Amino acid sequence: MTTQKETLHLIDRLAAEARTVRPLASPVLRTEIWLALSLPFVAMMVILYSPRADLLEKLSQTRFLIEEGAALATAIMAALAAFAQVVPGSNRRVIWLAALPAGLWLATLGIGCLADWMRAGAAGLRVTNDIGCLGKIALIGSLPALAMVWMLRRGAPLAPRGTLFLAILAAAALGNFGLRLFHSQDAGLMVLIWQAGSVLLLAAIAGLCGPRFLCWQHRKA
Amino acid sequence: MGKGNVRTFMPGAPPRREMRDFDTLMAAAQRGDGGAYKALLKQVASYLRGLVWVRAPYLTPEDVEDLVQDILISLHLARNTWDPARPFRPWLASIARNRMADHARQYGRRVVIDLQFTDIDETFCDEATNYHAEKVVNFLAVRDALNALPPAEKAAVRMLRLQQLTLSEAAEQSGTSIAALKVAVHRATKRLRGVLSDDDAKRDASPD
Repeated sequence: MTTQKETLHLIDRLAAEARTVRPLASPVLRTEIWLALSLPFVAMMVILYSPRADLLEKLSQTRFLIEEGAALATAIMAALAAFAQVVPGSNRRVIWLAALPAGLWLATLGIGCLADWMRAGAAGLRVTNDIGCLGKIALIGSLPALAMVWMLRRGAPLAPRGTLFLAILAAAALGNFGLRLFHSQDAGLMVLIWQAGSVLLLAAIAGLCGPRFLCWQHRKA
Repeated sequence: MGKGNVRTFMPGAPPRREMRDFDTLMAAAQRGDGGAYKALLKQVASYLRGLVWVRAPYLTPEDVEDLVQDILISLHLARNTWDPARPFRPWLASIARNRMADHARQYGRRVVIDLQFTDIDETFCDEATNYHAEKVVNFLAVRDALNALPPAEKAAVRMLRLQQLTLSEAAEQSGTSIAALKVAVHRATKRLRGVLSDDDAKRDASPD
């Protein structure tokens, strides 16, 4: 049976542990730090896999630029939202920050599917096995994901599922951003299923595992 | 968090002067001032006590105190997440709300477990027909059956069923995995059911 006396003892114990603590940096600054850690890794992976031969040509295509920009913006906004999630008292609506670029990203891919269908009919919507995308996205997103989880564990695990979903969405979207720079797959439906699908699948799995990685017991006093 | 939410969540909010005190004390606590931290925790504890009473009037005083302690520990663990440039109260409210929600879920699970373990056939009878001696015999039978369990299974039942810890809390406390705990409690329940139904059968078969 817990009594007020025990609470006073607890307070004494906690007060005895008082020491200077460095307040957590703002979510914006933490997002910048995360990007500074992650982008060089993504660049390194693109170089290791060799950039696609038609990269210069692709970089002059508006649709490709919008798609890549939206994927990168999804990563940045999801990371910002994840970092805000672990700060008590922050605005909970930040979780919707990633929705706009993610919607734009999916819309671009949808337009790609439509364009393929108008250009080549049913043949333009042919789906073949490209499961390798999942592994490559996971590989490129691995270091950003690890860095993100490590940084998030310094915060308060208020909504572990949502936070980890956003975190892995950020890492996987960054992985997909890198993948598009060396993987020559431009068929709209293939990109939608195997790339955007992989990103969402990884984020959803991570979200389900959220409480295992982010819980009060993991926090160090 | 919207200002309106905070006001709804914190009924009987402390006067503005006290709110400033919270901010000042917490800022000092972050600089390592133990005295200020202790004063803050004491003020916060009494504030939370009232808050929990209002928000969860169904809790016993011991449960309220448990919850207050949980919130204080969480505040302590998350004290690096408070930005001195921002007000303390919404920060505290967010942690308190989170811990209260966790506690409510745990409380709900506890009620469900209690219901699952309630034998409808027995409780359906009139209380007056349950003799004191029978209750003592039942209690002794359960105690003996529990004592006969292997140590790991006994510990699992004690933590998960009697102390109502969550799986992760029990795993941390016992140093075993969640899967091992699940297996242990499942085996223990099966064993207990077997032992107790054997006892019942023997009692039913006896000439008395």
